[in-house]
Amino acid sequence: MTQHEASTDDANFLRIDHVSKWFGGADRHAGMQVIDDVSMTIEKGELAVFVGPSGCGKTTLMRIVGGLDQPTSGTVMLGGEAVKGPDRRKGVVFQSYSSFPWLNVLDNVKFGLRFRDGLSAREKDEIARHYVDLVGLVGFESFYVNKISGGMRQRLALARTLAADPDILLMDEPFGALDAQNREFLQVQLLDIRERERKTIVFVTHDVDEAVFLAERVFIFSARPATIIEEIRVSETLPAKRDLKVKDSEQFLHLRNRIQAVIRTQARRTEEEMLRVAARRR
Amino acid sequence: MSRNPGGEPGLWKRLFTLRSRLSRPTEIGLGVLAFVFLLAVWAIVVATSSIKPQYMPSLLSIGEALYSLFVDFNFAADIYISVVRVAIAFAIAAVMAIPIGILMGSYRVFGALGEPVIDLIRYLPVPALVPLTVIWLGIGEGSKIALLWMGTFFQLVLLIADDAKRVPQEYVETAYTLGAKQRHVLGLVILRSILPTMVDNLRITLGWCWSYVILAEIVASNEGIGQVIWASRRFGKTPEVMAGVLTIGLIGLLSDQLIRLASKKLFPYLR
Ligand SMILES: Nc1ncnc2c1ncn2[C@@H]1O[C@H](COP(=O)(O)OP(=O)(O)OP(=O)(O)O)[C@@H](O)[C@H]1O
Ligand SMILES: [Mg+2]
Repeated sequence: MTQHEASTDDANFLRIDHVSKWFGGADRHAGMQVIDDVSMTIEKGELAVFVGPSGCGKTTLMRIVGGLDQPTSGTVMLGGEAVKGPDRRKGVVFQSYSSFPWLNVLDNVKFGLRFRDGLSAREKDEIARHYVDLVGLVGFESFYVNKISGGMRQRLALARTLAADPDILLMDEPFGALDAQNREFLQVQLLDIRERERKTIVFVTHDVDEAVFLAERVFIFSARPATIIEEIRVSETLPAKRDLKVKDSEQFLHLRNRIQAVIRTQARRTEEEMLRVAARRR
Repeated sequence: MSRNPGGEPGLWKRLFTLRSRLSRPTEIGLGVLAFVFLLAVWAIVVATSSIKPQYMPSLLSIGEALYSLFVDFNFAADIYISVVRVAIAFAIAAVMAIPIGILMGSYRVFGALGEPVIDLIRYLPVPALVPLTVIWLGIGEGSKIALLWMGTFFQLVLLIADDAKRVPQEYVETAYTLGAKQRHVLGLVILRSILPTMVDNLRITLGWCWSYVILAEIVASNEGIGQVIWASRRFGKTPEVMAGVLTIGLIGLLSDQLIRLASKKLFPYLR
């Protein structure tokens, strides 16, 4: 492989090509369109954030990228291969708590390691402990999931997903259920972890501050059916290395206000659309 | 753990606070209290009313009957036979119902194939099946095991299938994205996830299995607890009937408590 080919491969690491999704049949009367002809490419190592009004189809698009849902039309390519179904290459941190209640923290992190070949029991233990440490859960290894807080559960989900060594990390509003302090703390931690692990990350949120703070690139989605209405290269405006002080900078506030304004109009559109659909049904 | 900063609320208050927890000794004490109350009521009714002993024998005569059953009539052998019948039939039913139920709850094809047939059989009253099992298998052990099996398997398999269906999709999808294949998901996620409710369901259906063994033994058997009860009735020996019934209750209580205890030890994460 030449240098040039390798770099275009990296530039197109994740390639979403004309993806549309209908639920309940691709027909305006029977079904409902959730995603409308979305295309994008995401670079290897990039952190891309999807923002958009509630119910617009962000989770659905992320599930399609993860192989958990099939697009009605269009394709998704990851590292040059078509995405067919879920596997270890596409790690997912869900919106809701998804760690296994019957396993303690350490065993949850170890769960994915049992499917990786060529690792001795000791190596598995070391890897798991490394990620427990990385997300700051040292001391809680033997705790069952229902004995740790919501913030810790999402950190556990992150550690568990990272331990499986995925090519891409798909995070669906992972901090959505947390309070403001916990959320900021985890945002900083995520940037820190990303710095060390060099993972490609797609992060879904409807918190605009979170989006701007984390992202290299933000994709703003329209109300349902989701289309990309704007793509903002945050990394052109904000420094690559960020701490919470960035949130007070003028550039930050400017970006967030701009995105907020777009989303506000879209959210109104969603409600109007809901009323129209309801009226048509009646 | 106390909820109010002023300290632990008094026992009396805790007893009647919605969902408040009680200490283990308090719980056992309350259980014993209920038994004592029941026995006391029985004793008082026997002592003060004019109900004939053949309808309501005294506690003492029931105790004596139990003693003489064991010493003079080798009741232990009958208990053993009944226990073995239940154990064999129940084990077969469980060993079949667990994998079949999980498959039915996890793959729609097996669910769609199995549910209607099993639902139909499940609603057949077990006593109505006794003549059939006797016609098919005679009056030997085979027909009794078959009856118990029918009474248990069809109930259990649907309970397990329902539990398997209810395993959150997040768990299944999480496992896939961590590299699990279908076979891993079946064992490590679905089976593992339903284990606590499965143990509960086994405990409950085991109780049903006990009532069917008595039925089977009453209808056609030369030994077993059910036969002893029925034979005692024919000779009008009410204390022996009572002793037999009591024995079944005690076995049920014992096995139930053992399973509950095991469940607590096996599934510490539920607390
Ligand atoms: N399996 C499904 N069948 C039918 N409709 C679905 C299904 N999954 C999602 N939808 C619908 O698709 C639309 C988009 O859902 P999605 O969960 O992708 O939105 P979202 O952008 O993630 O919203 P939120 O920000 O609230 O999480 C919603 O109207 C939802 O009701
Ligand atoms: Mg969502």
